[in-house]
Amino acid sequence: MSKLTVENLSKQYGEVTALEEVSFEIEDEFVVLLGESGAGKSTLLRCVNGLTEPTEGSISLDGEEISGSQTAVGMIFQQHNLVDGVSAYLNALTGSLSRVSMLRSMLQWQATEDKVRALESLETVGLLEESHQKVSQMSGGQQQRVGIARALVQDPRCLLADEPVASLDPSSAETVMTYLRKAAKEHDVTALVSLHQVNVAAHFGDRFIGLRDGQKLFDVERGELTPELIDDLYGSVETVSLAEQASTPENGSREEVVGDIEQVIEA
Amino acid sequence: MSAPPSKLESLATYFGVDAIGDSPAEQKLQDMKRRKTKRRLWMVGGLIATYLLFYASLRLIEFSLAEIVGQVDQFYEALLGYFPPTTYFGIPFVDLGAYLSFIVEENLILTVEGGEIVWGAMFVTMAVAFAGTVLGLPLALFFGVMSSERVIPYPFNFGFRATMSLIRAIPGLVWFLILIPLAGVTPFTGALAIMVDTTGYLGRLFTDELEEIEDGPIEGIRSTGANSSQIVSFGMLSQVFRQFIAWIAFDLEHNVRAAIGLGIIGAGGLGLELYVQRQTFNYTEMMACIILIFLLAGSVELISQRVRSALREDDDIEQSGIIEVFVNAPRKILSSTVGRR
Repeated sequence: MSKLTVENLSKQYGEVTALEEVSFEIEDEFVVLLGESGAGKSTLLRCVNGLTEPTEGSISLDGEEISGSQTAVGMIFQQHNLVDGVSAYLNALTGSLSRVSMLRSMLQWQATEDKVRALESLETVGLLEESHQKVSQMSGGQQQRVGIARALVQDPRCLLADEPVASLDPSSAETVMTYLRKAAKEHDVTALVSLHQVNVAAHFGDRFIGLRDGQKLFDVERGELTPELIDDLYGSVETVSLAEQASTPENGSREEVVGDIEQVIEA
Repeated sequence: MSAPPSKLESLATYFGVDAIGDSPAEQKLQDMKRRKTKRRLWMVGGLIATYLLFYASLRLIEFSLAEIVGQVDQFYEALLGYFPPTTYFGIPFVDLGAYLSFIVEENLILTVEGGEIVWGAMFVTMAVAFAGTVLGLPLALFFGVMSSERVIPYPFNFGFRATMSLIRAIPGLVWFLILIPLAGVTPFTGALAIMVDTTGYLGRLFTDELEEIEDGPIEGIRSTGANSSQIVSFGMLSQVFRQFIAWIAFDLEHNVRAAIGLGIIGAGGLGLELYVQRQTFNYTEMMACIILIFLLAGSVELISQRVRSALREDDDIEQSGIIEVFVNAPRKILSSTVGRR
């Protein structure tokens, strides 16, 4: 159970305004961040994670203001940002670094519970069998799942993902997103995920926040994501992949929304 | 133009010191003759000076053809000493047994006495190299990491870079001479010299390697809330761990060669043995030392190359052939001793 509050967040890079007065509050939801490239999605996520310092505004988790990178906020990157030369297990274990001293971490003297947690996280993303393998020998989708496992080992209250499936094929993307959603639900964390693929977003998200030119354009629940909103967000885009959306037992109402979006795109 | 010009006058014209010439062309001709005369005078002066210097040098080194002619027999004797002749199955060849018996007698490699191993000169050389490398390793790591712009912001990292440049500017051989007051003319000082050399050289290799790493993993580790030393070790050093091991193998190989060279000026081991045998004019023994030195330097290089190419899966490491390794050994021993870039 956690609540992420973002208030009046602004970020400027020199003359360029990347984010302008963005505010929202998320509580135990799987939220998808939508918007064109350069709309400020990555900047927003990096600010929440503390990799980038916001120019103005505040971010708080469960009422406590946060700044800088910390264990409570886990991050999954587009390029996974794992250490290639070492095993999936050791990469996952780096998620526990902030809980151990420098010396103990160098000697791999983490607490047994951290080691077990690393393996359990890999099990959550379906990679327990492969956990001894080097990351460089894994496929892109597997690598991204190791990235998810690393974030889970942090035992975060909030999980961020910056275009986690942008460089994956549709099938791997779906697998990764399924694991990501499963991980968020199992660990009961607030998740904020930026995505490019509207289809994927509509299929997995509980709530959608749209950013355009650094400003919040919409903040809607599932079912409220209308084709008009998507049109507003991206302008008139004619080409978008049309994936057949299988209805999931978890949520039947998705199809409807996705169908609407596809119609718009086809029109 | 009434009387024909006298001999003196024509000579003056030839050398261009005459002041005649009516047309600009004639004046130019005269001018060019004067320049030629000047050049010739410089040439003659140069030749005389060279001759005088050469003569003085010959006097100083007491050059004497008679000496050489008188010593030819002795040189022949010495050659027989360097390469003692014998016959194997009736075929004349160099007596390898003579080398071997000296190597065993002087315990150049190792012997077992009363159940205890007595390490010979070859192992002293290797110990100097190994101890020096291990002592220098933490320093090299420290300076290498601190020189990286990702760890210490510009321009402060340049303090560490400059220190390493300074160390590299002074050859290992000179470091040995400088450090003699610390521990005497001993293998210990040799190891200290190699330690200093390793700090400067291996540290530089580490820095270069760290320039190539990717930012992604560093950011990934930072996002977990790790502290800065953990970011350095898990985000940066873990990316280059194998490359570092390969560079250490390369440096150890270089240091074995340097230890041989330092031995000749007193740091013990095979180098010292060679020096002692030369002072006592034992030519067979000298050659035995030289052979052993080549074998050591060559084998260490071969092993190091194989280790490195196994560590660097994708990068190609130049793999020298066995003969190439031994042929290049003398040149490499010298360059390792008197310094690298």
